[in-house]
Amino acid sequence: MTDAQLSKLDALTRDYAAFQSRKSGLATALGGLMACLLFWVALQPQVFGVRILQRPAMEAFLLVPFLWLLLKSLLARMLYRGLGTVKAQPDLAYERRLGRWSYGLALFLMGCLGAALYGFVSGMFQAAKPAVCQLPGDSPLSHPWAWLIWLPLAYLAPVPWAIRGIEEARAYAVLVGQCMLWLTEPFFFSFSANPPLGTVPAAMLVAGALGFVLLVGGILAWGALAMIRGWREHRDYLALLQGLPQEPVSG
Amino acid sequence: MVTEAPDLHPILALDRTVHEPARLAILTVLAAAEEVEFLFLQRVTGLSKGNLSSHTQKLEAAGYLETAKAFRGRIPVTSFRITPEGRLALAAYHQQLRALLPGEKTP
Repeated sequence: MTDAQLSKLDALTRDYAAFQSRKSGLATALGGLMACLLFWVALQPQVFGVRILQRPAMEAFLLVPFLWLLLKSLLARMLYRGLGTVKAQPDLAYERRLGRWSYGLALFLMGCLGAALYGFVSGMFQAAKPAVCQLPGDSPLSHPWAWLIWLPLAYLAPVPWAIRGIEEARAYAVLVGQCMLWLTEPFFFSFSANPPLGTVPAAMLVAGALGFVLLVGGILAWGALAMIRGWREHRDYLALLQGLPQEPVSG
Repeated sequence: MVTEAPDLHPILALDRTVHEPARLAILTVLAAAEEVEFLFLQRVTGLSKGNLSSHTQKLEAAGYLETAKAFRGRIPVTSFRITPEGRLALAAYHQQLRALLPGEKTP
């Protein structure tokens, strides 16, 4: 057995094991596609006659990342475990890289969410100041649009699962797409003819628009990269299968 | 002119459990992962079921690998894991081989 043959065995094993830890192949591509679709749907006032940016359609869309996690697990089982399970050795360099990406993404999202929330809340209190002071029954929380205030909670609740998804597949786009659903509504409110939140400060409008454009760019870039990477990983897997010996040898 | 007999000690000192090509392949695969199932090991080494079982038993007897048997539903699944002794033996074998090559020196 030559050195080259041993190196090939080593590489085949590591590559196959990677599909059971950090690589997701077509599931990553699907994550990218779903994130782009989420973004597209969030921009549509109506899809098939249903108003998307209202409950309960909005809540249903919050479940999309869970659907992706389910499909990812199914795809992994159907496509990438044909030769049984191989547990990969921990890859410390990869873990460090993943950690940096996760922290960077978390900071970016926190910044965008913080800016949007600040603009939203400042506008809301400007509009509802007298009501808050005098009539508790007519407080901002009793307005028909007040359900938006509870959306961060609806967003935070599934985040542990989303983070798990990120750890497994690096499909950041799904989380960003999910976040997008929450941000789109306040953004459009600020541009409407009669904003229910009162007058939004111009600086916040600019900051919101900038954050929106950044998010759009981020989602599209992540989605496209995830689709390309996922497809490439899938092709690598097919090549890996072709590289295996076809006939059993005696020895 | 007398030809000096070659020193065969380094060759004879090779670990024969590891030196056998099929077992060397098995240990190489196991060293690249934490745990490997029988099916993958069989496909990647190209060995028949009988051969693979025989070689893994020898490696287990030498203390170079551990076997775990479980059921996935009703299907029995056998997995292998290289032991620290197996890892050391594989590393030592590679070192010995490198030392045997002309121009190479043991570190």
